[in-house]
Amino acid sequence: MGMKAARGRELLFQVVLFAVCSLIFLVIAYPLYFIIIASVSDSTLVSTGKVYLFPKGFSLFGYKEIFQDERIWTGYRNTLFYTVFGTLVNLLFTLPAAYVLSRREFRARRFIMLAFVVTMFFNGGLIPTYLLMKDLHLTNTFWVFILPFSVNVFFLIIARTFFETSLPRELYEAAAIDGCSHFRFFFQVAIPLSRALVAVIGLYYLVGHWNDFFTALIYIRDNNLQPLQIILRDILLSNQVFSSGAGTGGDAGGYAQRYADQIKYGVIIVSTLPILVLYPFIQKYFDKGVMIGSIKG
Amino acid sequence: MHRFSTLRRDYQLWIMILPALIVIFIFNYIPMYGIQLAFRDYDFSKGLTGGEWQGLYYFRQFIDSYLFTDLMRNTFLISFTTIIVGFPAPIILALVINQIRRKRMKQVMQTTVYLPHFISIIVMVGMLHVLLSPETGVVGLIMKSVGLGDINLLASTSTFIPVYVLSDIWQHCGWNSIIYLAALSTIDPQLYDAAKMDGASRWQTIRYVDFPALVPTIVILFILSMGSILSTGFEKIFLMQNSLNLPVSEVIATYVYKIGIISNQFSYASAIGLFNTLINFVFLFAMNAISRRVSDNSLF
Amino acid sequence: MVWLLTVLVFTTVMAGCSNSGNQGSGETEGSDGAGKTVKLTGLITKHPLTKPLAEMEWLQQVEEAAGVDIEWQEITADWDQKKGTMLASGDIPDIFIGPNVVTDADLAQFQGLFLDLSELLEQAPNVQAMFEAKPETKTIATQPDGKIYGLPKYQRYWPSTGTRQFINHEWLANLGLEMPTTWDELYEVLVAFKNEDANGNGNPGDEIPMDWPGGIGGYFNPAVLLGSMGITLTDGSGQGYFVEDGVVKNYLTDERYKTMVSFLHKLYKAGLVNKEVFTHDYTKFQSTARGEGDVAKVGFTWGWVASDRFGEQLAPQYTSMSPLKVTDDYTGALSWSYDYNSLNYGVNHLVVSARSKNKEAVMRFINELYKPEVGMQVLFGSLGTNIKDNGDGTYAVLPPADPKMDPGTWKWTSTMADNGAFYISDNLELTLGKDMQEVLGQSEALAEALQIDVEQDVLPSMFMKYSTADNNTMSLNTTNVMNLAETKFAKWVTEGGVEAEWDAYVKESERAGLAKNIEIMQKYYDAYKAGN
Repeated sequence: MGMKAARGRELLFQVVLFAVCSLIFLVIAYPLYFIIIASVSDSTLVSTGKVYLFPKGFSLFGYKEIFQDERIWTGYRNTLFYTVFGTLVNLLFTLPAAYVLSRREFRARRFIMLAFVVTMFFNGGLIPTYLLMKDLHLTNTFWVFILPFSVNVFFLIIARTFFETSLPRELYEAAAIDGCSHFRFFFQVAIPLSRALVAVIGLYYLVGHWNDFFTALIYIRDNNLQPLQIILRDILLSNQVFSSGAGTGGDAGGYAQRYADQIKYGVIIVSTLPILVLYPFIQKYFDKGVMIGSIKG
Repeated sequence: MHRFSTLRRDYQLWIMILPALIVIFIFNYIPMYGIQLAFRDYDFSKGLTGGEWQGLYYFRQFIDSYLFTDLMRNTFLISFTTIIVGFPAPIILALVINQIRRKRMKQVMQTTVYLPHFISIIVMVGMLHVLLSPETGVVGLIMKSVGLGDINLLASTSTFIPVYVLSDIWQHCGWNSIIYLAALSTIDPQLYDAAKMDGASRWQTIRYVDFPALVPTIVILFILSMGSILSTGFEKIFLMQNSLNLPVSEVIATYVYKIGIISNQFSYASAIGLFNTLINFVFLFAMNAISRRVSDNSLF
Repeated sequence: MVWLLTVLVFTTVMAGCSNSGNQGSGETEGSDGAGKTVKLTGLITKHPLTKPLAEMEWLQQVEEAAGVDIEWQEITADWDQKKGTMLASGDIPDIFIGPNVVTDADLAQFQGLFLDLSELLEQAPNVQAMFEAKPETKTIATQPDGKIYGLPKYQRYWPSTGTRQFINHEWLANLGLEMPTTWDELYEVLVAFKNEDANGNGNPGDEIPMDWPGGIGGYFNPAVLLGSMGITLTDGSGQGYFVEDGVVKNYLTDERYKTMVSFLHKLYKAGLVNKEVFTHDYTKFQSTARGEGDVAKVGFTWGWVASDRFGEQLAPQYTSMSPLKVTDDYTGALSWSYDYNSLNYGVNHLVVSARSKNKEAVMRFINELYKPEVGMQVLFGSLGTNIKDNGDGTYAVLPPADPKMDPGTWKWTSTMADNGAFYISDNLELTLGKDMQEVLGQSEALAEALQIDVEQDVLPSMFMKYSTADNNTMSLNTTNVMNLAETKFAKWVTEGGVEAEWDAYVKESERAGLAKNIEIMQKYYDAYKAGN
């Protein structure tokens, strides 16, 4: 096998890779672009297919409507708090547990795992859960966002699998000989070696909090505690109402119908932008092999 | 004596898992008494557990119901297709992205593919309506121009599942690939060096270095996804339904919604939920057992 | 870390305790001693457009007059989801307001949670006055056992039907066509619309001769064509039920329905119906009819009013049409969808918690709310900003303060509107706004067809109170029947085949529970008639 053939093969690989990536990029990026232009175009033109490359009937009405709602800012503030604090608690509870469940010498491992997995399937339903929250005085407080479901079994399993595969067995054995306890090993070896994992699980939890509206819907009554998603959902649904309002016993009015879809698409942008900003910071932890390589080397 | 010694040896491990145990116990196990509602009438004045015992009445009501076979078939078909087609997609995507060498391009790519995850279902279905319209949608126009004629993708029983599954992949594939990307990032660079020395092509590196590193994650996630074989989402299917695709789009979740269960028939709803859960659990258990035997990976 | 955790859990409980004081309905200030305002809690399911209740002048006046101060929880979305847990936990406010905010089924299920008002009505003479002036409001409110949990609304001014039929008269004029009066003539007109560039923009392919929101039944639906053969739909007959000569029937298995489906297939096959009729969402359905600029796209369709259906710019091109005859030689009566009850009455618009600590105060509030001059403000907005007092005992609804806004939106923004609990007396002299006048004007074409025998040909759904068991049976059966009917209707219209499949379909419907449902409804209908 000559160098030339190898280089030719590499070139072919590059070309194919580039083509595949471009295709994926286009297929995913176009609808996203569509959302952006639809959020500033006349809704009637959007839904009749007149808008595909550039905005038509440009107007910022949708955004004006969204930001006119003063609750948005309270919502942002609340969501930010729930997300940051909630994610911290999530990680604090989940990662150590995942580490423990990844240790093969831990006897109760299989039983506890099963007990956790069962909860992914069986649950008592909303009413008993609500009654419990009420008895614990969690309803209508911010704690309901933080504590109750702070351990997501799905993420716990992912974390456990990750610890199992990325922490070589010998590593702990070597450390144990040096008299290193589990606490120290977890904080000083396992976590630094698993920054990619912490980043992923953190991101998953974070976005979970960010997008969560159901908790607030069921457990929160106080308007000052409502997260962003509830408020955006309100704004969104109020504009859905235009689309079925006329028949339901009154003329809900065509006034805002023209721009109803702007709001629909604008809401997506308003709620996603902050997360988008965050991603590059997390992404750098995925850079290949940085951690393990550096420690071993 | 032996037991005690392991407890002493592992006390730090117990401490580390304790918070999770407490939280799961309080918030997941305590409310589980509610499951008996599936076997009882709901009687407000007597409390959740005070209604009359009905045994399997509500289960039988569901199994005997007029649409039962249709519902089961549709639900299975939709989620089975979602798993079979949807499961490999993020793995492939992660492998592809992992091959990109130019940092800037990789970043742009990664950020783009994970964005659709944030689109709410209402908007997602709204976009499907706009983009797939045979008369005016971009996809409709493209299909026309490549000579596929004007098929109304939203209107037919044969295109409902493909549209549902593909749009799902479109939306969540990038997001789900993040976990695989993270797993890829832990591969020891020495392995790549070794592969290079052996004269392995990029393709071979993917096959013999990258892919094996993903296997444990793949196995675990696959087991978990088999455990959701009867859980299709509700909102997206509901919003995509119309009278032309109804024969394939009526699933358990939408049926439960339509019979007005949410507000009233707590017992019937619990029974259907429990029925779903049991089947899901059986699938999960089976997958887990198979996986334990075949590979070394399993959930528990 | 354990330490941290303990602190976390501990603070949680503390925070929980200190916060728990202000929830639930119980913490009111007790005695209703004169001059002291009583604190109450309330919940309203309002239209999302509606401004915060605290900004409604009339409501402040009502609360003041009743000596109460209500802390409102304002719900604009997902009420059904919230309701289940809220009621089941018993953790409810003193007053609920909203359209069918708590359903009869809920009332039956959550026995003891809501207050029986029948004994307390002496404290609310205004409600009693409504019951006397409009006895049907009392029927709506009364449960089979004679108890009254939910108070209705009566809004009087709304038309007899929710669906009006529109045709583009400019297109007719452009092509020199007559207004169609029979199905065959309609067919001819639609063919001309399709082929002859009716909107005159040079493109003969962009006209959509006929459109509806999709599916079968409900408002704005071709099911109104059944009126051409004498069937009177009620409240849109979304599930097919209607009454004819005192007998409950369902058109979904009626021969006349078969005739109509064949006709619709004929139209569809000829390309006269919007190809996306079964798949478009409501937004697109509305947008399509709004055309492009002053070029109309849709020839014949149904809607609430022209300005809402086609937009202000195109509305003048359309005329409201009378019902069509099925054939030229049809001699029977023509009919339409009779929706007067559902448009003018509302069931369970106000419900009270049985656990309320201060029932007298609640009743005072209710009494103020049902005052005739308050009722019109609940519906249209505060005196001064939304309604003008002419000084001679007559009133007029004012146009929107913001000239860009249409009257409908203005109303929904300003007040509880149709979602509130109120009574508009038939004696009230109120001049309506432009929007209502348009609706009433465009209803005139249908007036003759709606001269029906209300006693014998209308299904009084709102007045029939089912038992929980019957209600559950019916909702199960209806889901099955509609699954079948929707599917078949769409298939028959687009692909044909109604003739061949009809008998099997009728049998299948029976199996799905249609016959059983009709039997139940007939039983309740007869009981209702006997009671009247």
